Amino acid sequence: METRNNAEIHERSPLSNARLGILVLLGAETMLFSGLIGTFLVFRVGNVTWPPPSHLGIELPRAVTGINTVLLLLSGYTMFQARRAIQKDHVTQLRNWLLITGGLGLLFLGVQGSEWVQLIRNGLTLQSGVYGGIFYVLIGCHAVHVLSAVIWLFIVFGMAMAGRFSAERYVGVDTCTIYWIFVVALWPILYVLVYLL
Amino acid sequence: MQRFFVWASILILVMLSVPISLEACPGCKELDDPINKGFNWSILFMMAMPFTVFGLIGGTVYLHYRRTNRKPADQETI
Repeated sequence: METRNNAEIHERSPLSNARLGILVLLGAETMLFSGLIGTFLVFRVGNVTWPPPSHLGIELPRAVTGINTVLLLLSGYTMFQARRAIQKDHVTQLRNWLLITGGLGLLFLGVQGSEWVQLIRNGLTLQSGVYGGIFYVLIGCHAVHVLSAVIWLFIVFGMAMAGRFSAERYVGVDTCTIYWIFVVALWPILYVLVYLL
Repeated sequence: MQRFFVWASILILVMLSVPISLEACPGCKELDDPINKGFNWSILFMMAMPFTVFGLIGGTVYLHYRRTNRKPADQETI
């Protein structure tokens, strides 16, 4: 009787534990990034000239990063398609969409890595003052999140290859999608703040 | 005890009559200063975030709760 009641409660619970857990994690992540953005705002609004006079010769690669932004936004769409595929029990489509999403994520990280190499060659380093410090901490923190999302995505891909997901059981895909969408949605805000303002 | 309250009241009155000495926010004195504007925007942004986070999580849970509770009724009408 008790087991039946537990099953009923589980069935009728508004949000699974895994989904609630990922929402709480994202709440903490949002606070972390809001702290970093708050720090950036202090320096950005607090300086009349931005970049500061000591970094006037250094230009951030706005155009390339703009294209990279489009790639990341596209990966959000493909991840959403992966979730829709498993909802319709199309496991092969799920694998394909996950693979495309992972590829786009890796491409984003690759382009960003090459940009960083170029910026370091131009003299913008973590130790080169407030401008370099806040740039690398804020953008680097996001890059670490993209990397962890890509690793998570490939774990989900491995589970999809092993046939662990179906239209009735796809909470692993769902939580990964929520995290991926968060990472994707955060990037345009950072791009506008750091690269365009 | 009564004496304490009298002295405390006098002290509070003296402090209130000299508002400059009560300036608790050094950044608020010169609001036109860019660094103060920076702190101002940063504080406003970070103050809004907890409400945004709790609002989004609470809203999501509430929407799921409503959707879950609506399902059996829909099935009954079908």
